[in-house]
Amino acid sequence: MDEPIQLDALGAGGPYRSRSRLPIRELGGRPVAELSLVPRLYVQRTMAALHRARTMPADERVSALTRAGRLFETGVVGGLGAEEYRHIVSRVSGMPITVVRSAASGIAHRAGEAYRTTRYARPEGAVDDWRDPLTRSGQAVWTRRGDVFAVHAAGNHPGVHTLWLEALAMGYRVAVRPSRREPFTPHRLITALRESGFGEDQVALLPTDYSVADDVIRDADLAMVYGGEEVVSKYGDDVRVLPQGPGRSKILLTEDDWERHLGTIVESVSAFGGTACVNTTAVFVRGDPAPVAAAVAERLAAIPSLPPEDDAAVLPVQPVTDARAVEKYLLDHVDGATPLLGGDGIVHDLGDGSGVLRPAVFLVDRPDAPQTGIELSFPCVWFAPWSPADGVGPLRNTLVLTAMTRDDDLVDRLVDDPSIRNVYLGDAPTFWMPQWVPHDAYLGEFLMRTKGVIRA
Amino acid sequence: MSPRTDPILDCPLDQVPDSREFVEAAMRWHFSPETGSPFWLERARTLGFDPRADVHSFEDLRRFPNVTNELREVRVEDLIPRGYGPDAAVAGVFESGGTTGPPKRVVVLRDWLDRLMHRLEQDLEAKGYPENGNWLSLGPTGPHIYGELIRRQAERRGGIRLTVDMDPRWVKRSIAEGRAEEAERYAEHLIDQSAHLLRTQDVRVMVTTPPLLTRLARRDALVGLINEKVSVIGWSGAHMDPDTHYLLRTEVFPGVRLYGMYGSTMILGGLPERVVPPEQDVVVFDAFSPYVAFQVVDPRTGESVRIGDRGQVVMHHVSKSFLLPNNLERDLATRVAAPPGQTGDSVADVGPLPTFEDEPVIEGVY
Repeated sequence: MDEPIQLDALGAGGPYRSRSRLPIRELGGRPVAELSLVPRLYVQRTMAALHRARTMPADERVSALTRAGRLFETGVVGGLGAEEYRHIVSRVSGMPITVVRSAASGIAHRAGEAYRTTRYARPEGAVDDWRDPLTRSGQAVWTRRGDVFAVHAAGNHPGVHTLWLEALAMGYRVAVRPSRREPFTPHRLITALRESGFGEDQVALLPTDYSVADDVIRDADLAMVYGGEEVVSKYGDDVRVLPQGPGRSKILLTEDDWERHLGTIVESVSAFGGTACVNTTAVFVRGDPAPVAAAVAERLAAIPSLPPEDDAAVLPVQPVTDARAVEKYLLDHVDGATPLLGGDGIVHDLGDGSGVLRPAVFLVDRPDAPQTGIELSFPCVWFAPWSPADGVGPLRNTLVLTAMTRDDDLVDRLVDDPSIRNVYLGDAPTFWMPQWVPHDAYLGEFLMRTKGVIRA
Repeated sequence: MSPRTDPILDCPLDQVPDSREFVEAAMRWHFSPETGSPFWLERARTLGFDPRADVHSFEDLRRFPNVTNELREVRVEDLIPRGYGPDAAVAGVFESGGTTGPPKRVVVLRDWLDRLMHRLEQDLEAKGYPENGNWLSLGPTGPHIYGELIRRQAERRGGIRLTVDMDPRWVKRSIAEGRAEEAERYAEHLIDQSAHLLRTQDVRVMVTTPPLLTRLARRDALVGLINEKVSVIGWSGAHMDPDTHYLLRTEVFPGVRLYGMYGSTMILGGLPERVVPPEQDVVVFDAFSPYVAFQVVDPRTGESVRIGDRGQVVMHHVSKSFLLPNNLERDLATRVAAPPGQTGDSVADVGPLPTFEDEPVIEGVY
């Protein structure tokens, strides 16, 4: 296409094409879209409009979410057909096209299920409405902690945009600041939501320059921010902000039967091109990790290097200079670890300005080696030895821990540890995420509270 | 008038002297031992050229080094050209904001201020600023030329000036020390004071900075008061991005005229926005020939960019009162064709160096 796609801001007065626009380039460097960046004044006026708006009735919200999901998945939205959208996301983000397709279907599905999903978080003792007969004799009513929810989204995977749909289902007005790495998904989703019944003062897209980003959070009642360690340290003490920090998902193997779990381990490392917070980045093995690591490396080495729009692509692709920067970062941090795969570099130059990030497998010699905490956005995994004497320590600070173990005392301690947010036992990949299982607790735990109501 | 003064340097306020003749006369004035300032006479020794022989045009001013950093330490007396004699009429000493290190200091003499105010008064007249109406100045006063220019503009329109004082250095210091909340509280304190004045007084002209204007717009009650009472909002002292400009004039203050002023302590003043039809949706600043000139240059080569392209702004000030050539400002602007008779460029969409995102972070999946 010759004319770049225009990704307008979506404010309370409708789409806004700003004078300040950021070119969005595909992997080869060609500009394919322009993202309208809005100034502080626009942000504050949009946020004020969201605060002024009335929440839509729950039933209308649910039906609009369902319609929006279908439109998002299959329709023409903002002039862009569904396959065209998926292709451009793949070509801009470098995410394999099959991953984009299933993520897009996932968003549609989760939109339809968003309200149902909120039910899992509601305390059993709470009802939804003060008119519920139970409040005659006193009852908890489940209520919002605020009205306006802001999201600083990430661009690593379109699935990032499933979670905040629950906030809409719960009656929040939502403002999303997209990532410049992939603004297409939130733009399409919010446009679809608006075409399906959500008002322009119910859900907004606010692309901003870095200097204005905090305003989106300041003007919201509650916010969710995706990022790394720096986001956790910046917002960790702010009770209004839910940080979505590093995943550092791990697998623990304590038995000798690892061979039958090999597929699960490889999948956990490489699904979604290794770009998700639920991808495994470290594997701890009771005894010698070398044979497991070698077997995983052999499987990962066989994955072909392909452009992301190829149906057989599995690995992520980046502009080659960015890919080289990731490679340099990795090699600078090897620090004595033994490479089994990728030790000489991980970039496969496709010759069109883009490069495939090929898998990397390293062995470290102790469970508390700092490399096990390194999380990069491609399949990159660190194998470490572990023994019961090492305990839970090396397994801490983990979004998902898959423990293949028969040691129930250990499982007790893993489940009790607050820094391990999900514990999967047995042959379950770390990326396993059915909607009834909380991802990092239920979002409803953050957005809602109970309130006592009695009608005396 | 000193007998040694070339009359072109003291030409009547409503005349525009020839640029070349003017620059040559100014070089003779600033670099002759009898008339030049101690600062420039001393500085001339290490220039490597003789301004009186080698500088004839505004293009030649690019030969000068940027001496603005030296204005942090120099005694104010040493900045006054000797040709004024011992009783030079000093209108004020003004200082830069002090963003990077100690502030830079300039001396403004009466004859320059009269010349600048004459130009500004013509502009107020042409734009139809209210006569005999009250002005509210919400911005820096004290050592900053900002407040002084507003005071004198209000005076020339027969208005009473009300003020809320802002100390930009405290704001910058608070932010630099990581105390953003303190800066926030301070800014709200300024808005509170303005709110009181807007409620109780008949304000017809309000002058403030773009960030404070954006902050004022957060309060619906103030937006209402301004739309009801104020006929002109003047902005200066910081950049206003084109989208904010558009939203302010079309959505927030639709009935109020919005006029910008672009200036710097280092040109000893500010210059008003060119009047263009609203559908042009652009803010252009013309120079004040032959005293103040702008050039838009490629930051890498220092060469002028083409008309319509963006580059970094170089400012020159040449008057009898002061000489400060070739000062590369930290502003980006679009080069616009100058009106007939103007030296140098006009500038549009003045803004800071762009920052879209924080430095790319490699580690982590987000």
